[in-house]
Amino acid sequence: MIDKPEILAFLCNWCSYAGADLAGTSRISYPANVRSVRVMCSGRVEPSFILNAFMNGMDGVLVSGCHPGECHYISGNLNAEKNVESTKKILDLLGLGSQRLRLEWVSASEGQRFANIITDFTSILKRMGPNPLQKMDQLKATSAKGDPISEVVASSNIRLCLECGKCSGSCPITRMNPDFSPRMTVKRVLSGAEEVSVDDPGIWTCLTCGLCQERCPSDVHYIDFVRACREKARLMGITETCSHKDMLLDLQRIMANPKINQRRLGWLPKKAKVSESGDVLYFAGCLPYFDVLFNDIKADSIETAKSVVKIMNKVGIEPVLLRNERCCGHDLYFTGDMENFEKLARMNVEAIKQAKVKKVVTSCAECYRTMKLDYPKIVGDLNFDVVHVSEFLADIIEKEQLEFTEVFKDKKIVYHDPCRLGRHMNIYDTPRSVIKNIPETDLLEMERNRENSLCCGVSSWLSCGKLSKQIQIDRLTEAKATGAELLVTACPKCQIHLKCAMNGELPVKRSKIKVKVYDLPVLVEKALNEKTSKRRK
Amino acid sequence: MAEQENKEEIIEEQKHQSEELRIGVYICHCGKNIAGSVDCEEVTKYASTLPNVVIAKSNLYSCSDPGQESMKKDIIDNKLNRVVVASCTPRLHEPTFRRMCEEAGLNKYLFEMANIREHCSWVHLYEPEKATAKAKDLVEMAVAKVALLKPQKEAVVPVTRKALVIGGGVAGIQAALDLGDTGYQVYLVDKNPSIGGRMAQIDKTFPTMDCSICILAPKMSDAGRHSNIELLANSEVIDVSGYIGNFKVKVKKKPRYVTKECTACGDCVKVCPVEMPNEFEEGLTYRKAVYIPFAQAVPAMYLIDEKSCLGIGDNTCAKCKEVCGPDAIDFTAKEEIVELDVGTVIVATGVDVFDPAALTEYGYMKYPNVITSMEFERIINAGGPTGGHLVRPSDMKLPANVAFVQCIGSRYVSEKKGHAYCSNVCCMNTIKDCLLIKEHWPEIKLYVFCMDIRAFGKGFEDLYKRAKKAGVVFIRGLPGEVAENKKNNNLILFGEDLTSNKFYKMETELLVLSVGIEPRTDSGVIQRLLTLSKTSDGFFMEAHPKLKPVDTPTGGVFLAGCAEGPKDIKDSVTQASAAAGRAGILMAKGSVTVEAITSRIDIEKCIGCGLCTKVCPYNAITVNKETKKAEVVEAACAGCGTCGAECPFGAIEMRHFTDEQINEQIDAATKENADKKIVAFCCNWCSYAGADFAGVSRMQHPPNARIIRTMCSGRVATKFVERAFRNGAAAVLVAGCHLNDCHYINANYETKKRVEKLWSKLEKLGIDKNRLQLAWISAAEGEKFASKIKEMEKIVEGVTKAEIEKTVTALAPKKVKKAA
Repeated sequence: MIDKPEILAFLCNWCSYAGADLAGTSRISYPANVRSVRVMCSGRVEPSFILNAFMNGMDGVLVSGCHPGECHYISGNLNAEKNVESTKKILDLLGLGSQRLRLEWVSASEGQRFANIITDFTSILKRMGPNPLQKMDQLKATSAKGDPISEVVASSNIRLCLECGKCSGSCPITRMNPDFSPRMTVKRVLSGAEEVSVDDPGIWTCLTCGLCQERCPSDVHYIDFVRACREKARLMGITETCSHKDMLLDLQRIMANPKINQRRLGWLPKKAKVSESGDVLYFAGCLPYFDVLFNDIKADSIETAKSVVKIMNKVGIEPVLLRNERCCGHDLYFTGDMENFEKLARMNVEAIKQAKVKKVVTSCAECYRTMKLDYPKIVGDLNFDVVHVSEFLADIIEKEQLEFTEVFKDKKIVYHDPCRLGRHMNIYDTPRSVIKNIPETDLLEMERNRENSLCCGVSSWLSCGKLSKQIQIDRLTEAKATGAELLVTACPKCQIHLKCAMNGELPVKRSKIKVKVYDLPVLVEKALNEKTSKRRK
Repeated sequence: MAEQENKEEIIEEQKHQSEELRIGVYICHCGKNIAGSVDCEEVTKYASTLPNVVIAKSNLYSCSDPGQESMKKDIIDNKLNRVVVASCTPRLHEPTFRRMCEEAGLNKYLFEMANIREHCSWVHLYEPEKATAKAKDLVEMAVAKVALLKPQKEAVVPVTRKALVIGGGVAGIQAALDLGDTGYQVYLVDKNPSIGGRMAQIDKTFPTMDCSICILAPKMSDAGRHSNIELLANSEVIDVSGYIGNFKVKVKKKPRYVTKECTACGDCVKVCPVEMPNEFEEGLTYRKAVYIPFAQAVPAMYLIDEKSCLGIGDNTCAKCKEVCGPDAIDFTAKEEIVELDVGTVIVATGVDVFDPAALTEYGYMKYPNVITSMEFERIINAGGPTGGHLVRPSDMKLPANVAFVQCIGSRYVSEKKGHAYCSNVCCMNTIKDCLLIKEHWPEIKLYVFCMDIRAFGKGFEDLYKRAKKAGVVFIRGLPGEVAENKKNNNLILFGEDLTSNKFYKMETELLVLSVGIEPRTDSGVIQRLLTLSKTSDGFFMEAHPKLKPVDTPTGGVFLAGCAEGPKDIKDSVTQASAAAGRAGILMAKGSVTVEAITSRIDIEKCIGCGLCTKVCPYNAITVNKETKKAEVVEAACAGCGTCGAECPFGAIEMRHFTDEQINEQIDAATKENADKKIVAFCCNWCSYAGADFAGVSRMQHPPNARIIRTMCSGRVATKFVERAFRNGAAAVLVAGCHLNDCHYINANYETKKRVEKLWSKLEKLGIDKNRLQLAWISAAEGEKFASKIKEMEKIVEGVTKAEIEKTVTALAPKKVKKAA
């Protein structure tokens, strides 16, 4: 047994590990509750490692490297500093406290300093009390639940597949990787080899964008099918590591812990008016987290949330914001982690019910789909309405509660349909009508639009890679080809993915794809006339 | 006159009622088929104890000649005036025994059967005691009903020797010609300004590759000048009343604004300033507001399209009138309503072509070089806008290669983007189109993207082989998406080759979407006017899919061509001749015997509320505005009995299935051990037949159900169900044809409503509503019937005595309560 509080220390090989060695050779004693992991450079320590340590019950994490300017790898330690900074913000949001994570520079000659740090950190952690997260159970194969694939096969049209091949002809992944064939995945099930589907790498590559399903003459629900394959794979102990080393899914799993007590509302501007109870609840989703994590690509995710609250205030609504709102669980659902998804669904619905609201507005297309379509499967009928922010905006625009300036006069705008909002939920016209209602805008359409829209290239943080980048570049090229100056979408994840593609290394000239990307509420907020305000009657 | 007949019938009935009842009951052994599990002698003994039974005998084979002879002898010798045979299903031998009764001088409607084979001995093979008890019940129910049966006279109505053919495509033309040649007067009505239909637009026909208009045009002009055919082009049927043999039809003749003086010189066309998309050319070119539909049009007359003409009404333009030599332009022409009397109607309203715009992934209307197969027909046609030169729309140049995509709008499970059925003609049409191209331009490369090629007809496979030989490439695997190469307007197809499992990306210069066919959007009008039914795919439903394929459930109305389902020219013509033949049979005879099982209004009780008129699927009941009484058009009445079930005043008597007769059957069925029994109302055509099928297949099920046959589940009045429960029955089953499969168009929707009403009533009374079950069981679903009875047996087991007592009191007649 390790002494409490438990500390995990990542030590760089050249300085800090050697510093700890020196403490040893010098017989400098320090508390016995620390376990060290040697890395070549502190820059090697990824945020996901740190989060993983906390998920496994560690009370504190120390990252230690060479002093600035003394890094064995020029500037690796500065990278560590950046990572630790953002991870600290995440820990604060989660309510775990940033003090549980510590970055220290310890050189090979600073044995005493190392001991002092451990002693000091220990006493701080003792004061903070134990990490509320308990050690997670390792994922094990179970056969307790029914077979999700058989359930989908029995309750859907999969057996009606005519083998026309339209799915493969439609799939954006197949276009880049001809070895991937949605038809063949289905065929395997049709020929009785359901188990094989689980081993098929294709089930993890699929974007669940629904383009194949949209065009399938037999109405095969490929999205449900792939999701079920993933669920079954998980039950059999097979998983796929998601982009960012699972960190984003781990965040959701942490939020699924009932002991977590987040501090997620720090982004609220002082002027914003929100309330504890009322008719309308704004479900901000993971925006505060994305804002931290995707700061490097200037995702500006929190702008969306700020805009929504500002617009709501403008029309006299003081929305309810849940202090301990948890991730909707979309990504867990789509990667087959039903256990944690169910926990999130139940806790969110319970909290919303306690707030006694009539309507929940989401600014995320995924939250919208998940709450509207998937929550009822877990908790039964919801006693509140779920609307996407585009519907909310269209409604208040129709009631003439908003007044706009002509700031977007003659701006060429193109709208990108998020698959969760479009093909999954059949909302195509509403966001377009919102854009058209902003004075003098010039709304254009990409070659592939509405039900034929191309996905942003990643879903559930699963499939980011070469193919995703190519899809994103294709999409941005298509947007640019229209002559658009502004790309508007209605899902924060589409924004992150498209912005990420623009920021990365490119096989094409940046000017071919570079376009300003706005989330729909941000666009509306920017077009608002600040001077006048119309109140609801 | 109807009233007088009614009186006569009542007098005749009273005569019969005053007669002493003398019932003969015959229990058939059917060899060992019945006697194997039912003690026939015991049943016979029991039958002899029943009221008014003067003779009860058993027979080894009742249907055999000696069996029938001995019964005939009994009828005559013992002056029997009612006969019950307990043997097999009436669906098999009722006609046999009815004929036997007639031969012995007894009205055939005074006969009743008890089905102790299919519904008893065969399905309770291993429970002889219970089977015997059930057989006794079934015999008793039959005896109870037969006592109340009345003699019926089958009415004979005259048939007018004139026919109406709706739709002037190849099917309508053929039907009209056949009937006209037989010597009957025919009215051929077409909505369009010319007859000819879809076939007139097509270039060549498969599998013979002969020219479509070349073989059609002679038929069109034959129809146009036939002395027995009156052509009503540019006209629409707007009202139909009457019944088999005696339809009254109103036709609206739309004005052409061009009189018969027109010499077809075409001067007017030159001056007309309006240009409209040419419908006949699939919108590939323009026509003027004054135009002739196409060169071979019949009638060969110009007309003015009133929607686009600038002159009609206020005469502002009238350029055509100015140049017209014979002064054939008449802007004052008005529409005309023509009234016709016909005996038969042939519906040949044809089809629409599927609009592929819904399948946005194929880029139709977005990319110029994506065209439909119908547009292709006009492009390849020598009489078409390009003079038969194959060009692609973007640059009017001959394409180096052409791709066809099959199954556009066909074989889609969800109706969202297409239709569930195979459109039947598209595979062969594409093969034909490919050969047409190869004939003129062998160098053009042709690719057909398909799931499979359906070449099932005579000569079809040969044509398919010819196309393969000519070098047409058939690729299994439909493209999922079509994109355009912006540089040259070529089309890029993305898909998967199913034979090699390889992804393909292919560029083609012209893409032809092989579109399917679909029911006409306006077919609902004809459906309503003629009370037709549609199958789930939206085409008109035949009276029987195998044995009456051109009849409809409405007497005197027949189907021809694609209105009934997708078919090619040959099948359309074949069906048209068949329909003409069927209509001809009626008209040749000049009269028709109509079913005696019809409804009759009791004028004393009728208050003229009109509820019955709303539920009649045949519009056979109307309320006379003067007398304020309902009247039944017996020739139109099909005998479902829905009106009788609906009437709150008991003012409708459903002949041969009267309230009293059914009540007696219920009472007999629930006389003993009612608390262990299921009273099952089964419709004659589906559910009763389904129970028969369970019998024939020996599907064993519990022996506690007592089936009461009605012609339609729509006959089952709520009071029948309540009576069964009031008599202490543990459960009641109401079974009919599947919704939309009803033999009486849609009468079973009324059944559904009534049962739902009963459910809520039972719930309100605190009675378990599961004790009343509603099931749709087709004639093929013996298994479903057997399992339904098994399922209900569990319900019966769960019903307590107290529950039954509670039901009996709760449903007791209100009068008793008032008295108390």
